[in-house]
Amino acid sequence: MAYRILIVDDSPLMRAFARRVIHLSGFEPSECLEASNGREALDLLRVQTVDAILTDINMPEMDGEEFLRQLTHDEALRAIPVIVVSTDATLKRIDRMLELGARGYVTKPFVPEELRIELERVLGVACE
Amino acid sequence: MSWSEFWESPVSDVTFESALRDSAVEVLQKMFFICDDGTPAPEGDNGTPEIAVRLTFEGTPPGWLALRVGKMAARSIAADFLGEEEWMMTDRQAEEMVCELANMICGSVLSRTESEATFRLSSPLVVPLADWVEPENATVHSVALANGALTIFMKAEIPACRSNERFVS
Repeated sequence: MAYRILIVDDSPLMRAFARRVIHLSGFEPSECLEASNGREALDLLRVQTVDAILTDINMPEMDGEEFLRQLTHDEALRAIPVIVVSTDATLKRIDRMLELGARGYVTKPFVPEELRIELERVLGVACE
Repeated sequence: MSWSEFWESPVSDVTFESALRDSAVEVLQKMFFICDDGTPAPEGDNGTPEIAVRLTFEGTPPGWLALRVGKMAARSIAADFLGEEEWMMTDRQAEEMVCELANMICGSVLSRTESEATFRLSSPLVVPLADWVEPENATVHSVALANGALTIFMKAEIPACRSNERFVS
């Protein structure tokens, strides 16, 4: 089954890396959409449907925390599972993002397997 | 040694040093497939072009991290990171890779030393080498790479300490 995944990160390099990990993880032929901050992501989600979202926290214009807050207050978007991918591994930050509605949290650095497991979990699938 | 405004005395950076070393090892190994076995990088400028980046962090403590790496090494690491050929890497991609490397190492160090606090990182910025000033009194970690050296400089305004050493009101 093909999944459409939105990658939200201000670093083009990290977006490319996430895309690569997703494709190498057995989600082929998933389609990856990209946004460089929360504002762009919300604009995109108003015209596109996605199955899951990977988001960074530190981003210009609208950060991951505000993005998650607005997403979970939107009836049409709140059901989309969100995985936060961040360098911030502090318990306070992880708790905060989970309280805001994130379904998963992957801290950088991570091995590709960690992201794959989280994606499988939130999508409710088992890749071969 | 660093001057601690909090303790109003010089304090040891041992904890910070080990966090920086451990973070560099983990980030390089997990995300960039580089084994940092502790071999010290050769000292001195070997004349190869370099990329330097710097970022600041807010939190307890605030501070900054700077990182220098040879341009050839940066292109090679970026290629491995993206699964592309080295010749396909642009200077821009090499710079982005160095920025991301700095971001990850800084976040990892702060997560290790301040696990119960929060912090905020600025976006890493490329520093023109003409503007580069060798940081003084910073914690330094160097890694020998196949085609260059990677040097990380980090400085916190007050020492990071273990949570059980911190006063709680």
